[in-house]
Amino acid sequence: MKIHVYAGLKDYFQPEFELREEIANTDELRAVLVKINGNAGPLLSTCRFAVEEGFIDKNFKLNSHDTVVIIPPSSGG
Amino acid sequence: MLRDAVPALSADPLDVVGLLAGAHHPGAGAVVLFSGEVRDSNRGQAVLGLEYEAYAPMAERLIAEILEEARAKWQLHIAIAQHRVGKVAAGDSAVVVITASAHRSEAYAANRHIIDRIKHEAPIWKCEHYTDGTKEWGNNCNCHSVTGDIHKHIYESEQRP
Repeated sequence: MKIHVYAGLKDYFQPEFELREEIANTDELRAVLVKINGNAGPLLSTCRFAVEEGFIDKNFKLNSHDTVVIIPPSSGG
Repeated sequence: MLRDAVPALSADPLDVVGLLAGAHHPGAGAVVLFSGEVRDSNRGQAVLGLEYEAYAPMAERLIAEILEEARAKWQLHIAIAQHRVGKVAAGDSAVVVITASAHRSEAYAANRHIIDRIKHEAPIWKCEHYTDGTKEWGNNCNCHSVTGDIHKHIYESEQRP
């Protein structure tokens, strides 16, 4: 599974990286990421997730071929 | 000149005057322009400038959807929004929203609604660069602390004064 992160998450992770674990949904993905870098936990708890340029919720079934974009809270304007 | 579509994101300085010049319509008695500009201070710290980052494919699509919904809801003749990416110096424009409608109330309301939604929903982020050399990603949408849902937002334009 490919992961892309933006903005403040880049303080904790590389902008793009790959996970080999079996990850079924966004809750599991968040848990895996917190294991990698626990300091990212508070920010990850506020992030949205997207696949194929659409937001997904925790019920979305992830598969190993997905590219998941992790989207921190917006701060444009 | 009549223009109703501009790129949603720009790596170049926003041409605020040029955008306005292209935002006139014979059926519009009101044109409202909002320019969000970079302040030279935030929470007591001197700001050198901001750096904006976007997840471009989603930001462009979301902004297009926001404009289309506003165009239909307020019967706008023109709805334009353009947001900067990259470094923006204090005093420069970071985002421009232009709305044009038959009467001013619709143009004002739509404009406020559009900028609210862009700020809360579009995957665009700012990193503040301070004059002391430090930087911070910040001013994040914090609506989830009230709504309990990271996908639900509270828009200032919908709050009672």
